[in-house]
Formats: sequence, structure tokens, C-alpha cells
Amino acid sequence: MMYRLESPAGEWIDRSAPLRFTFEGREYQGYSGDTISSALAAAGVPFMARSFKYHRPRGILSFADHDSNTLFQVDGMPNVRGDVTWLRDGMRVTAINTFGGLRHDQARVLDRFAPLLPVGFYYKAFHSKRLFPRWERMFRALTGLGRVTLDAAREATPKRYGFCDVLVIGGGPSGLAAALAAAQAGAQVALADESPRLTGNGAPPTLLRAVQESPRITLFPATVAAGYYADHWVALAEAGRMTKMRARAVVFATGVIEQPAVFRNNDLPGVMLASGAARLLARHGVAAGRRPVIVAANLEAYQACLELHARGITPAAIVDLRAAPENDAAVSACRALGVNLLQSSAPFEAIRGADGRVAGLTVAPLEPSGQLDARSPRHLECDAILMSVGWAAAAQLLLQAGGTTRFSEELQQFVPSVLPAGIFAAGRLNGVYDTESRTADGRRAGSQAAAHAGFGAPNGEAVARSLRCPSHRFPIIDHPRAKNFVDFDEDLQVKDLENAAQEGFDSSELLKRYSTVGMGPSQGKHSNMNALRILARYRGVGVEALGLTTARPMYHPVPMKLLAGRSFYPERRTPIDAQHAALGAVWMPAGNWRRPEYYQVSGESRSQSIEAEVHAVRNAVGLIDVGTLGKIEVHGPDAGQFLDRAYAGRYSDLKVGMTRYGLMLDESGVIIDDGVIARMEENLFYFTTTTGGSATVFRELQRWNALWGLDCALVNVTGHRAAFNFAGPSSREILQSLTDVDLRDEAFPYLAVREGSVAGSAARLLRVGFVGELGYEIHVAAGRGAEVWQALYAAGLRKGLRPFGVEAQRVLRLEKGHLIVGQDTDGLTDPYEANAQWAVAMKKPFFIGQRSLRILQARGPRQKLMGIELAAGAPLPKECHLVIENGAIAGRVTSVTHSRALNKSIGLAMLSPDLAQVGRDIRIRGEDGEMLAAKVAPAPFYDPKNLRQKAGSGT
Amino acid sequence: MSAPALKLCKQRERAGLKGPRAPEWLAAQGIVLPAAPNTWAHSDTLLVARLGQLEFFLEGTVAGAALKRISSSLEQRPPGVYPVPREDWGFLLGGDRVHDVLAQVCNVNFAALPLHSHPVIMTLMIGVAVLVVPQGLEPGQGAAGERQYRIWCDPTYGAYLGESLGAVVVECGGRYTGVS
Repeated sequence: MMYRLESPAGEWIDRSAPLRFTFEGREYQGYSGDTISSALAAAGVPFMARSFKYHRPRGILSFADHDSNTLFQVDGMPNVRGDVTWLRDGMRVTAINTFGGLRHDQARVLDRFAPLLPVGFYYKAFHSKRLFPRWERMFRALTGLGRVTLDAAREATPKRYGFCDVLVIGGGPSGLAAALAAAQAGAQVALADESPRLTGNGAPPTLLRAVQESPRITLFPATVAAGYYADHWVALAEAGRMTKMRARAVVFATGVIEQPAVFRNNDLPGVMLASGAARLLARHGVAAGRRPVIVAANLEAYQACLELHARGITPAAIVDLRAAPENDAAVSACRALGVNLLQSSAPFEAIRGADGRVAGLTVAPLEPSGQLDARSPRHLECDAILMSVGWAAAAQLLLQAGGTTRFSEELQQFVPSVLPAGIFAAGRLNGVYDTESRTADGRRAGSQAAAHAGFGAPNGEAVARSLRCPSHRFPIIDHPRAKNFVDFDEDLQVKDLENAAQEGFDSSELLKRYSTVGMGPSQGKHSNMNALRILARYRGVGVEALGLTTARPMYHPVPMKLLAGRSFYPERRTPIDAQHAALGAVWMPAGNWRRPEYYQVSGESRSQSIEAEVHAVRNAVGLIDVGTLGKIEVHGPDAGQFLDRAYAGRYSDLKVGMTRYGLMLDESGVIIDDGVIARMEENLFYFTTTTGGSATVFRELQRWNALWGLDCALVNVTGHRAAFNFAGPSSREILQSLTDVDLRDEAFPYLAVREGSVAGSAARLLRVGFVGELGYEIHVAAGRGAEVWQALYAAGLRKGLRPFGVEAQRVLRLEKGHLIVGQDTDGLTDPYEANAQWAVAMKKPFFIGQRSLRILQARGPRQKLMGIELAAGAPLPKECHLVIENGAIAGRVTSVTHSRALNKSIGLAMLSPDLAQVGRDIRIRGEDGEMLAAKVAPAPFYDPKNLRQKAGSGT
Repeated sequence: MSAPALKLCKQRERAGLKGPRAPEWLAAQGIVLPAAPNTWAHSDTLLVARLGQLEFFLEGTVAGAALKRISSSLEQRPPGVYPVPREDWGFLLGGDRVHDVLAQVCNVNFAALPLHSHPVIMTLMIGVAVLVVPQGLEPGQGAAGERQYRIWCDPTYGAYLGESLGAVVVECGGRYTGVS
């Protein structure tokens, strides 16, 4: 049983500041400076979690945020890492992945069904189509860690950028030495370490102090380097913030991760890593047990024994897998203390006690061949098992940075091999183990990194790697009754990996994906190395021959809130935004703009307001803000030629003072944008794009301009001009009172463009017909927009004006049969399908998409955009409802509305060519599968001869 | 040391021009041009920023005549010189923690930029294309080495940029002024 000792020197907790918290509904006490799991351990909680698959009881393993044995639900937050999360007063903590609570978890019965859940059973279960739905429901109910609660308080976690010359990752002796060396060379250094406090991990105190006092070193304690991205960009994740650090050189002093031994029941609560036990004791005064057994294969095990003894705890035994330990003072000291040293011995089976924790260990002799002699087991009473059998390089970030590693047989770990420019490695990651050597190695790496960043010269010789092997080559003990876990996250046993290899998944990548080893929250920190060893044994090859799986960010799980940051949402507003708000605009997003969907009038419903807006345009006058349209000027002698190439139509022959519809295609002939192109002067064109397409179109046109090298220049004035559409039978009369431009048909015919002033502001006026009425698009400088809008509004109000929004505009243009790119067209629609071939001037020497159009023209359309009318009284289908013919999909609705002006429901639909005939009956599958009758109809529906927009008269 | 401050500068006029003959034309108007691309210079009452080789951004006070003269001359359509309407929103960001603010909104290392070379930065700031001119302070206006940043953006993004940047400034203990 774990327990709290009397105050050891240097502990992190403050025993004068108790904290109360609950775990699984029961009250406990810890201290300020405790983490959640240290407080639970001190309180003697026998086990803290249930494993993912078999729901076996679990306790602390690494106490280093390297495993997922101690994930908790805390105050509504899922998957909180108990080893490294500070305890707070009043915390409510529960276990995750349980059904009915931790102690009485109903799913613990799955442990007995383990033989029915072999490796790959997940994939095999889904093999049966008939049983698929049942398995899916069961897995969905059983799996998942933690619960997302939608009412959890939102925490602000702003991100920031950081900049340094040298980034050092890791705050042990080599990392500290690297940071100091780089700083002394003149570099600005950032040092990140994941420990809650920077302790130096055995480094000389003078070194730690020098780093802390250096003005050129910025410290990031309790910070995980979560991922390495291109150009030395590293994501540093703290509890409440992510720093996106850009360095000029990076030193990886990330150290090594202690590895578990694999034996039966090695996952019992009370079985933990020796380094974890040491941290728990030193920082929080919590002992792993009163009578632990140490499973050893290196010198660190004996040092751990001495540290325990110094705290009054004498291990029951040291079970050393090796025939003989090092000839070292630590070993001698342990012998002198009378600790029972069992050489050439291996743990065979951990024994479970009544409380679910470890209560003993059966050991057996280990032969030189590596075979266990189970004929003469020996039982050791103990209440904790501390594993100190080896290490694996924490090389994931180094690999993400493009470094390569090779397997060192001498050290039994992967060590850096080839490093890209600006990347350096030091310390135990580099295979350098004793403290003095690690410090020297760090100095070397730091000076090299600083030199790479332009500071000083590299100095220090390469430090020789350790001659002592700190890791056992095969700390894996077979057992006929299994439950010898390799991957604690995924409940994977030795036989699971062997079976996977036997089934043909016998490379490191395939083994990972089939067995899921290394795919849990720990991402293989404690399992990848042993899994490789098992696979290597199965295949009869060395570990080097297998290679590592690809390391990708994130190194540790990172809360989504850190990635989200502030959630900036860029939004564009036209210069008339305040006026819209004052008029009761109901907003809608249109791309990254906000636009009025309609204007809320007291006493009117949404549909009534939209109908009234449409009615005003058809019968009096309406005013809409079209400032969101892209607006681009092209200047220069080759401006006309440029547009001829960029658009499907011809513009070099456009008369000054006139406009023409512009259809833009991509190189495959697909419609990507449209607009109106006006020739203002011989060498000046002014054209519009769709709201959503302006940035993309401008970028593309700039690119083409650079490639073609024509004598012209593009100016994007989208945001610098306000624009309105003033449309309706009364529009000319009202506008004439505000402008010096002669608006009579003979002076300003349909599709013409003029310059003049409106309400005292310089303006461009275009006669356009998008909504099918006499109308003028008025473009003014953005700074004059509000004033001109107010003038138009005031003048029009007397004549029944209503401002109209996007929804009313949609109805009006649909009554005219005008398409909207991206709504009535999709990613494959060409002009022939959209009935827009009239906008294509095929005889031009060249335009973008021309070659493809020749092919498409010869092939013929696969579908056609046609007008449709719904049967009287039929409910309205929705956009994208399908047209069904003979039981097959024959088209879809792209736009639909009820037209008050026409007193019928109309729309546009893409139809298969055999249906695309005026008068043809079609059927549309609406909501809930109801079939709706419709007919293909000619478009425009309203004013088919376009008399109203051309002359302001006729119907 | 002053708290960070963001100010919306409304009382300024702006203009732009580009084209193959823009540099010589502008020089012929008596404007001192920045020699290198992406640098700025003061000319009379104007701030002149050179955007690449052939495009210029000018800002002056509303009362100043220089900008009016330039704008008026541009309307005559000199060959090879094309006016670029500039209705930008302009901001002034300064104060003690100005780099803390900038670090939260932009990945350019502004603190490392050498002021003596008069750099002009065209970058993205919280998703918005911006023009940034770092400047030192006049003697007596602030602490030694303190900087301020002139920031301009498309007017349709102005409200968003001001509100978002202003929120960060306020969190850093500062103020956002100049908005109605």
C-alpha cells in the first residue's frame, strides 16, 4: 500500500496547506503541491483506474505524464492527466472508462472474456455484414475514454508566437548545459521542459542556477514540446497556452523514457517504474510500498535501492535479470545493507492481493539462453514492484525533425544517426549516460547550435557514448497464462503481438496497425521498444532490421482548447454595416462577410418581410448593398487582351462605356466565377466577381498576369468601394434627382456604364439586370458609402422604397432564371450544362478553358440546368433534393422558391439530358421521401423578354 | 513604462499608385522615394511606403496639401501610372507590452526588425492582410528603445481587426481608443 512519509527534505508539497477533494464521490485530503495521483496514492487508494479493454484495475506507472494509467474526469474535463495535474481545493475527480463506478465497474467481467477478444478481434468482428450493426453499437457504448460535457466552462487559452535563436528541449543536465553554452555564445535561448518544476534532474546546482539567472535564457517549465514542424517551428504546450516557437537551431535533450519489464500481471496497481517511484517519493513524500521488490537490469536499480533505504524503506529483494551487476559502489552498498540480491532471476508472476494491488512476486531462475526455469519458482512477499530494466530514447521529436536513428546493440537503444542542418542532440538521447558526460555533451551541442544560428564558434569534442549498457536486451518473460502486458493503454499481451505477426502483420508498421500497439494515449512510449523486441524474436532478426514507425505530432495529447486559441473569426463588413443594423437587418454569413439576410419589420414574419422586399423591387424601388462583390480594375494597353484570355467572352472589342457579362472558367472548362465587365476607358476595365470568389479570382489573375507578362496591372478595389443596386420601376426617377448623369435610355442604355456623381460623391453607375427590373449598380469610394446610401434611402422612402437583403435578391434573380455560381453550378459544371454557351467566344485565339471546352462540346452535356415549376399546392422541395426517374437519380434541384409575382413555385434543376425538355414532367423526392410533381419550364419565368430591365416597362 | 495602446487613426488620408512608371512619376512630383522595396520614407508631410518595386502607399494628414495634389494629378491618368484607391483603416499600436500583443496575433518577429532600415512589412495578422511600419518614438515620447507600429488593413476588415486586436490589448492591461 502506498503511504505518505514524514517530511523528506526538498519535497514539493506544503503540509501546512491541506486541500480537500473527492474521488469517486468520497472525500480525501492532499496538500498544496500534490498532484491528483500523488494525493490519491498518499491516501492509500488501492487503484485509480480501469484499463481500456479488459477493465483491469490500474495504478500509477510512470508518474511522469508518460502513461495513461491515471487519466481522470475532473470537474467536467475529460482525460485529465493525474500524474502532472496540480491538486486544487474542491476538485471533483472520477475515474474514466467505468460502468457503475471504479470499484464495481460492471465491465470488469471483460477480463474473463479475454480469450474471446484476441488481437484483431475488432477487425474480425466487422467482417460479418449481418452482425456489423450489433458490433458497432456495442463498441460505441463500450469504448472511449472520458466524457465530453457540453456545459463545461470555456477557458480562454490564447496562443502566441515565440522567437529564439536556439531552442533547447529538455531541462536535464545536457539540456541545461546546452542552453547555457548557447547563451554564453550570445544567442537568445528558449528552454522547454515538461516537468512541473525545473529541477535539473541531477544536474549540478550551480549549473541550474546559472541557467535560471541568465538574461538570455527564457524558461518554459511545465511545457511539452508537442510537435516539430518545418523550419524549426515547434509547438510548446503549457497548461493554458500554446507558444508557436520559431527557432534558428534546436537542441534535442529529450532524454530517455524508462521501460517496463513484461511479466504476468505486470499491470497490477503497485507495479511501477522505479524512476516514477523515486519522483513520487522525492517530490511528494509518498512511498510506493513498505516492502518493495526491485526488478533490475541496470545500475539505476541499485541507486534506487539506496535512495529508498535512505528514506527508511528496505526493499525485500533486488531481482536482477543479469548474471552479474556492475562492479560499482552502489551495488556493493546494497549488498552491505543486506538487501536480498537474486542474480539471473526474472519476475514470473505478480500476485494480486485482496484489495486488487500487488501482494507478492513469484520469481524464477533465468538461464543464459534467456529461458526461464519455472520448475523452481520462489515467492517473495511485497507490496510494490519497482521496475528498472532499461530505457528507450525519447526520439519522437527528433524523428519529426527529419533526424534518423540507428539501433545501438551496445546500448540497446536507438541513438541519433543523421541530423538535418540546425538540429542537434545531446545527453541520454544521444547515448551519453553519466552526469558529467551529459553536461559536456550538452555544452558541445549548445555551442554548435549557437554557431549554426550565427553566434560564436562550435566547441567541444564529441562525447563518447556510454560503455555501460543501461537496458536489458529482452526484459520480456513468457507465461503460459499470459496477462503479461506489453502495451498498458491497449491491454496488449505478448501473445497478441506474436499472433499478429503470425497472421502476417510482421513489419513494425503493420504490427502497429493490426494490434494497435503504440496507438493509445501514450503513443508507444512504454510499448514500442518491447514490441519491436518481440517482433524481432518472432522473425529471427535484429531490432535494427525492423525500424521504427513514423513519429508524428502530437508527442503528448494536447487539449483542443490549446489548438483553438482565441478562435479568431475574420469577418468583413461593408461600409453600410451600421445603417443595416439601424434598419433591423437580420444577419447571415456570406463567405467571410456579414450581409443582411432580410430586414426585420415589426409585425412581419421572416417570409412576410422577404415577400414585401421582393414586392417593393417589382413595384416601386428597392435598395440592396452589393458591396461584397469583388471589384477589380485592370489598367494598361493590354488590359483588353488580358481579359480575353482570362474570361470566356471577348472584351477587347467592348465599346468604352458599355458592359458585358463575364464567365470565368478553369483549365478544365468548369465555371468558377462570373461577373460584369465594364470598359471605362480604352485602357481601363472595371469588373466584378462573386462575393465568395473575389480573393481567389484576384490571386489567380495576378498569377496569370505574372506568367503572361502583358502590359497591364490589376488593382483590387473590393474593400475600397461601396456598391449598391438601386432597382425597381421608380429607380430612374429617384436616382435622377441625385445624380448629374443623364439616365434616359438614349443616353444611358441597358448594359451601359457611366461616371458622374451621386449625392455629391464621385460614382460609377452600371445598368444591370440581375433582379430583372430597371436598375443601377452604383459604386462609390468606401468612405462615401454611408452618405450615398442614406441619400438614396431617404429619396426612395417617399416612393415606397424598401431595403432588400440576400434572400429577396435570391427570389428576384430566380424569377429571372439567373444562375448563382456555386449554387446552380458545382465543381464540374461547364457552360454547356449551364446554358451559358452564349457567354463563350470560342473563336478567340486563346482563353483559359478553351481547349477543354472543345472536348466537352464534342462530348455533349451530361446534365442540363433547366427551369422547373412545381405543381400547384405542392410543398416546396429543398435545394439538392433529387429528381427521380424510373427509380434512378436523374437530377437535383439547385434553387427553388415560391414566387408571389408569378403565383407559383419555381426553381432551377440540373437534369439528365433526356429530361431536359420544356414541358417534360418530372418527379422530385422531397422531405421524408414524398414524391413531388413538377414540370420543366422555360426561363426566365418573369418578364421573359427582359423588357422591364431594358426600358423599365412591360411585363 | 506605458500600458499597450491601440488607436484607430481616422484623421488621415491615404492614396496609392502602381505601374511601370510609378517611381519616376512620383519622384517627378517632388516626392522623396524609399530606395529599396518594402521600405518607407518621410517626404514633406507624407509617409511614403514602397510596396515591392512598383507600388506605393502614401499617407498624410487630412489638412495636408501634398496628398491632395498627388491624388489630383493621378486623376489625369499619366501613362504607366495607375491609381490604387486606399480607404484603409489605420491603427497605431504602441506601449510597453506591444510585443506581447503582436506575438499573439502575428508570426513576424517585430522586435528583431532593425528600425534604421525603415522596413515595411506586408503580412497576415489574425487572418487579415496588413501593412505594418515599425517606428521609434520621438525623444520624450516614451522609454528608450520603445517602438510603435503603424498598421493598415482593408476597410472591410477594419472593425474585426480593431475589435480583435483591441481585445488583446485590453487583456494586456491597455486601451483601444478612437472608435465611436
